[in-house]
Amino acid sequence: MPEWLLKDENYQPLPDRDTFIDKSILSLLRILSRIRAQSGYTGGKYSVHAPWKVAGTFLLIVLLSLSRNLWFLAAVGAYLLAALSMMPAERILRILKTGLVIAFFSFLVLLPSFFMGNRYSLVMIPLKTLATVTAVGILSHTTGWHCVTGALKSFFIPDIFIFVLDITIKYIVLLGELSLDLFYSLKLRSVGKNTGKYSSLSGIAGTLFLRSKEMAEDMYSAMECRGFTGSYRVRRRFRFTAADFLYVMVHAAFIAIFVYLG
Amino acid sequence: MIELNDVSYSYEGIPALKHIGLRIEKGESVALMGVNGSGKSTLLKLLNGIIFPDGGEYRFAGESITRKKMQDPVFSKRFHQRIGFVFQNSDTQLFCSDVYDEIAFGPRQMGMDESEVEKRVEDCLALLNIRDFRHRQPYHLSGGEKKKVAIACVLALNPEVLVFDEPLNGLDPRTQRWFVSFLIQLHESGKTLISSTHDLEMVQEIAGRAVLFDENHTISADKPAQELLEDTELLKKANLIDEYYHRHPGSGHQHFHIHPF
Repeated sequence: MPEWLLKDENYQPLPDRDTFIDKSILSLLRILSRIRAQSGYTGGKYSVHAPWKVAGTFLLIVLLSLSRNLWFLAAVGAYLLAALSMMPAERILRILKTGLVIAFFSFLVLLPSFFMGNRYSLVMIPLKTLATVTAVGILSHTTGWHCVTGALKSFFIPDIFIFVLDITIKYIVLLGELSLDLFYSLKLRSVGKNTGKYSSLSGIAGTLFLRSKEMAEDMYSAMECRGFTGSYRVRRRFRFTAADFLYVMVHAAFIAIFVYLG
Repeated sequence: MIELNDVSYSYEGIPALKHIGLRIEKGESVALMGVNGSGKSTLLKLLNGIIFPDGGEYRFAGESITRKKMQDPVFSKRFHQRIGFVFQNSDTQLFCSDVYDEIAFGPRQMGMDESEVEKRVEDCLALLNIRDFRHRQPYHLSGGEKKKVAIACVLALNPEVLVFDEPLNGLDPRTQRWFVSFLIQLHESGKTLISSTHDLEMVQEIAGRAVLFDENHTISADKPAQELLEDTELLKKANLIDEYYHRHPGSGHQHFHIHPF
């Protein structure tokens, strides 16, 4: 054993700014816990099936973007608020926060148009943005990722495309967990003044890249061994429920309101 | 040196540790035993200040370790220098371009001049018998070699406490033997060792004390290692050993068998 290892280290660290490590850890944790929470969400026995939700959300977005009527926007807003009210408070806050931030940015971008006399756009576009982001937020917070990708089957999206989406989500989680551990390790080993912060970050990025390449190669080999020939069949299980019927009716009503109000 | 008083922790409402009370003195070698998911790795993360207890208190060298205190960069860096963590997956610990830089990462941050850094790196390379890998990229090493480099990185900081998460996982038998001898050497040199493991043979050789976690995420036993390893009933209850129908090759001899170690 070398002599220095037998003695306690008499070391007083110098202060260094490395809050980027903590911030990166926090944002990774946030993303991973969100994906985990969404993956575990099945919606319960009586919830609307994912294909209807995806189609309904898509329909609302199209109608919102086509509509020029404030009353139609108000009707959609009322529906979205009613849907939000059935969700836990934490999710409501998260969805509304995202929607309001994006709507505020669109408001800022459109602000000059107000001075050019276009008051209508300044109100309508941020409201449409808020409603669109809220609708997508409700979909993503009430439907697991695998259900959303599975629902694409109903819209004649090729199976292989669905497969690629599923695998992408899986590897976002796996590589996210790996990068989280790398950041933990960087934090634990950052015991003083790090003069090469950027090289540590590029080292982490490099390790992630190499690991993802290795994972991709392993997966390719595993798929070959399992007899994958390039075709992938997504099984569709579907039963029309009362909740589905209600959901379809509400959205049919929106089409009627859109046609009526223009 | 380490004191946990009624510590609890949960992951988004799912409990991982419940009312843990533990005291580890300087120079002790403690093995944390328990089945997968019993909370061993969570406890190691907590000891290293990666996560913080939801309830109870963690004290290191008389200082309470809290999220607020760890936001003070000077305190946090000194704490991380004093307690080193060797991750289960060595890939997550290595991010520099070659082995030399990887080991020099800590000493350079500690403000040592380059000759001192070089001495420390060379000592670590010699101690772990990895001199030949000095200029190789960590990513291209084998599992056992990566583990040695990861240990060298932590040793270069000269921590007082060394924490190992499942250190024998994925190592070939020869490297496992080497590793056990190395831990004994480290312990004899005065380091405090904390290792989580399923390997009862390793516990017998390296640990003076063993702490057994049960599936309810609590400590079900905290005894001298030898005493705990002889308690086959307790180990069976904790699912660390089992009794099964067993055939010896060639002999045609069949019987129920308990594998304690």
